[in-house]
Amino acid sequence: MNANIGILEASYYLPPTRKPLSQVFADEEKPTEAFAANVDFEKDIGIVALHVAGEETAAELAIKAAKRTLAKSGIDPQTIDLIIDFTSIPEDYVAPTWSAAGRVQKEIGATRAFVTAINTGGCASYQTTLKVACSLMSANERYKIALLIAGDKTPEYNHNYYPITVVSDGGSAVLLKKDMTTRRILAIDVATLGRLHDMWVIPGIHNRKDEDIGGKFPRWLHVSGDIQRFNKELIPMNLFMFRKVMLGALKQIGKKLQDVSYFIYPTFSNWDLKAFCEAFRIPPEKIYTENMHHGHMQETDMVVGYVDALEAGRIKDGDLVMLATNGAGFSWGASLIQH
Amino acid sequence: MKPQVGILAASCYLPQQRRTVEDLFREEGATYDSEIASRLGIRQVPIRSDDVRESASNLAVAAAREALERAKVNPLEVSVVVEYSILPQEYLVPVWNMSNKVQAETGAVKSFVVGFSGGGASNFMVALSSAAAMLSENDSMKTALLVTGDATIPGNRVLNPVDPVTVMGDGASAVVLQRDAPGSIVVDTELWSDGNNHDVCYIPGGSLVNPDDIGLYRMELDRTRYDAFPKTKTLRRMSDKLLDRSGLGLSDVAAVLCSNISSEDEAALQAAFAGKISAVCAANRETHGHLQGTDFPLNYLSLTQTGAVAQGDYVLSVSHGMGATAAVSLIRY
Repeated sequence: MNANIGILEASYYLPPTRKPLSQVFADEEKPTEAFAANVDFEKDIGIVALHVAGEETAAELAIKAAKRTLAKSGIDPQTIDLIIDFTSIPEDYVAPTWSAAGRVQKEIGATRAFVTAINTGGCASYQTTLKVACSLMSANERYKIALLIAGDKTPEYNHNYYPITVVSDGGSAVLLKKDMTTRRILAIDVATLGRLHDMWVIPGIHNRKDEDIGGKFPRWLHVSGDIQRFNKELIPMNLFMFRKVMLGALKQIGKKLQDVSYFIYPTFSNWDLKAFCEAFRIPPEKIYTENMHHGHMQETDMVVGYVDALEAGRIKDGDLVMLATNGAGFSWGASLIQH
Repeated sequence: MKPQVGILAASCYLPQQRRTVEDLFREEGATYDSEIASRLGIRQVPIRSDDVRESASNLAVAAAREALERAKVNPLEVSVVVEYSILPQEYLVPVWNMSNKVQAETGAVKSFVVGFSGGGASNFMVALSSAAAMLSENDSMKTALLVTGDATIPGNRVLNPVDPVTVMGDGASAVVLQRDAPGSIVVDTELWSDGNNHDVCYIPGGSLVNPDDIGLYRMELDRTRYDAFPKTKTLRRMSDKLLDRSGLGLSDVAAVLCSNISSEDEAALQAAFAGKISAVCAANRETHGHLQGTDFPLNYLSLTQTGAVAQGDYVLSVSHGMGATAAVSLIRY
């Protein structure tokens, strides 16, 4: 793969309204099943408030992030060749028939671009999308600039993703460009455990039952998780799969885990972050943890963590940065960026 | 020199049950007359039963297994499963995608999965182009399994009943792509989108904007914008550009495959492509209607079976994606 494709610019947009986690837990349906980890889900999670979008649509969150990224980069939207939407939760209209990519194209004036959306990987859709975007750019001389976008607006009263996390609303955008000398994407590895496909789903309007729409908590677009399978089948495999993709990405460039200068990891929860750092012996100075205050933002976590770490001066010239995440489906992904 | 990627095998898996278009129009309260019949050129469509064995994802699994068998590829050799459905799946996409299930049930457990949204039938070419790019640019990836299963929303088979554009059937298809394949080389793909038409054909209810209105859970087409989109002109321009990149012209192309939307749609494409739209498209359209991205593997298989194309012949596939995403792929047999 062309090793000179890099991240020209990245940015995110978070709606200004914040909702305290105590209020989220008070407003939403209480989970009844036990979680295998020895933690108090509400007290130990490490997130204190969530960003909530209000009247803004999911696509509008993505558009705002895209416009910010374009403004920071100085790139003319008409030079964009590809737009790929990597949103991983329900969008404004039903997928896969529709994606926000076309609307973003229209609103930013990227009239020359081809647009599509990647709808797999959950929070790891960022890595899957990087893999596809870099492959398309590398294979086709004519694709020089790509814009990756995501817009997440959590369905009403479904911010509680027990037992994984609590989720914020937000949008993100990343500009990829060829012929970069820094922030080059050196390797991407993605792995999928398809047998877990039906462990974490949104049944959808066509599967609704009377009990879903009655009562205090209508479940129009609610995530339905099988907690027993989560405990028995996902948790035991999680770190194994992380190791697989992280070492897989490193192997592609002949590097070792010790060569990674900095890690970007999702903001699921304090205990998840701790388990990840302990498993891979990552010291606190090599991973960004301050972004926990944003709440978890699905695939956008990768962009938020990366941008915040850059702006905080935590990533330096010459650093090899690893972004690693997992997501529903289930997939795991790791990418390596050379600064 | 970049490695070549080609099609090793393809398959379609269609439900046994067929319904006549006349019946479906009656059932959906739409007017059916000789003028509409002539414009559509569709007699019947395959329709899945309520049996879970004919769910969209199970049809996709069956198509995938058959394609792998035809390709003589061990599922463990598959590097990536690429999904190109366009209709809603068993659960809401993108939280769920059938590609994960296909991966598990075909035993392609060493692969990762990618699914694409948007673009109507052009989604097949988006998948084809992306898979070919991944195989040619990543040394660790050699084989891709492209797959879809599309099940039409009940009562929503006649698209735009007041002025019908097509009739949608149910079906699944799969294609096995491999680096250094001996034939059916994916030479190039040209893709283009018009963001102004992002909602020319979409399902307005069932997601964030209208989460609770089941009446809006159906595919809607904005006929005025659909008609206004310069479909044939766009596809011909894109085809000429793509062929020019390979030092070819339309006269070098043995046949053109299109999606099976209607006889009216095909007639316009015949005029734009010098009568090169293969007869298999009309034949498949009559008996299957529009099967979304599956139209292309279906027409590709039929064209191959006719023996009308020989090794070395060039075949173009063209799709206007209902006005949102247009796509053209060139394959060398």
